[in-house]
Amino acid sequence: MASVVGILSFNTGFAIWVLISMAVFLFFMGKYAVPHIVKALEDREKQIKDSLEAAEVALAKAEQISKDNKKAMKEAEVQAQKIRKEALEDAEALRSKKVENAKKDAGKILADAKQTIEQEKKKALTELRGEVAELAIKSASLIIDAELDQKKNKNLVDNFIKDLSKN
Amino acid sequence: MSQALRLTAITILFLLVLNPVSLAADNAQEDEPVIDVIGKVVDHDYLELVGGAKLYLPRIFMVNGEWYLFANTQSAVDTGEFERAEEGLGLIRSDGETISLDMSITSHLMYVWFGLILTLFITLWASRKYKKGVGATTEPKGISQNLFEVFFVFIRDDIAKEYIPGDKHKKFVTYLFSVFMAISFMNLFGLLPWGVATTADLTVTATLAAITFFITQWNASKDHWEHVFMFPGVHPAMRIILTPVEILGLFTKPFALAVRLFANMLSGKIMIVCVLGLIFIFTDIFGPAVGLSSSIFWVGLTALLYILKAFIALLQAYIFTLLSAVFIGMAVEEHHHEHESKVAAATDVHV
Repeated sequence: MASVVGILSFNTGFAIWVLISMAVFLFFMGKYAVPHIVKALEDREKQIKDSLEAAEVALAKAEQISKDNKKAMKEAEVQAQKIRKEALEDAEALRSKKVENAKKDAGKILADAKQTIEQEKKKALTELRGEVAELAIKSASLIIDAELDQKKNKNLVDNFIKDLSKN
Repeated sequence: MSQALRLTAITILFLLVLNPVSLAADNAQEDEPVIDVIGKVVDHDYLELVGGAKLYLPRIFMVNGEWYLFANTQSAVDTGEFERAEEGLGLIRSDGETISLDMSITSHLMYVWFGLILTLFITLWASRKYKKGVGATTEPKGISQNLFEVFFVFIRDDIAKEYIPGDKHKKFVTYLFSVFMAISFMNLFGLLPWGVATTADLTVTATLAAITFFITQWNASKDHWEHVFMFPGVHPAMRIILTPVEILGLFTKPFALAVRLFANMLSGKIMIVCVLGLIFIFTDIFGPAVGLSSSIFWVGLTALLYILKAFIALLQAYIFTLLSAVFIGMAVEEHHHEHESKVAAATDVHV
């Protein structure tokens, strides 16, 4: 029985020792050991949190930039298309204008040529009439062999030719 | 290969069993009980070293205001001033005066110190590492630091932060972590062959519980005291019943804390001593042959109990820490008087 009491006994002197030991122990733990660890862990957690947040911000920024780039590219494409279209239109206009000019020029040259030909024809006809008249006179004088009144004859022949050309 | 290992293991087991059996045979010739179960769990004035050698510890005590200091119990007896008492560590002055305050260094106290020093040493080692930046700016390196951090973060996040509201938990992380580690080590020392689970001593657990109690009450909020004495929202006449109950409740909490840890550790130790003691008892009653053959079973059972005890050592440390956190959390909590409005609303409905 006495030894059973020994198990449950409370030893005051021992309790004082434990109390003193715990006080010293907790003092050292609280002053030199635990706070450093708590601080280090908190710092690390903060660092990780900050890094994650910074990464998120950076990601959003990158996404924005990429969106901006895409938009700018699209705009540039549209611009390029527009420029190309304008250039094509310009070229077309220039070409048609040139063709028109060329046509005009050609028409003018043709008209000039026609006019020249007409003139030359008229001139040639006139010359041919004179030639024919002279030839007729010469041949007639040769044929009749008589000196006829030059003036009278000429009129005669001219009339003849006139009639000729009218026919 | 595995068979060779098994054979070796069985041989070692046999040798281990034979040794205590022959010891028991020696002891049986004396008139003492075959095995002293209680003697294994009470405090001693010596420290049992590896191999069973005894290191006698100094005796410091006071008799009627006079302090005495001796190198050990024997030297106190040798001076002729003191005589051994019939029970335990007791000494009686030759003139019949008993010791009024015994502050001797005992085996249990040594193991308390071992636990505290080991905890302090490990924590200081870890804190130096963290201060150097390992774990602070980088990840923790190595198994030991990672293991340490597992425990530390567990105590901080799953016990302190969980049960103590708000920013107040930061104040108690040191205490909770220290107590958890120290109790774990004290419990685990009980698993060493010649070690002692000092938490199987009521004095130690009571003192630890008292520390929790004082920390709780010193940090208690106004609301806590109001709920102990005033009971806002309850009819004043009810205080006659409720106040004594609440005041009793203040003390039953640490009492439960102390007894739970003490009883768990003590029962584990006693179980192991008893189960192993069955070898000696069987040898004593039925002869060495029965003792020897049955011992295989007892040793196997003891091995199982050891595994259980290793688990319980950590579990009880965890429970002590957890309950300390719960009690502290209950005391420091501020209620904002939502009770009154709730009670008022309830009465409205009834009317």
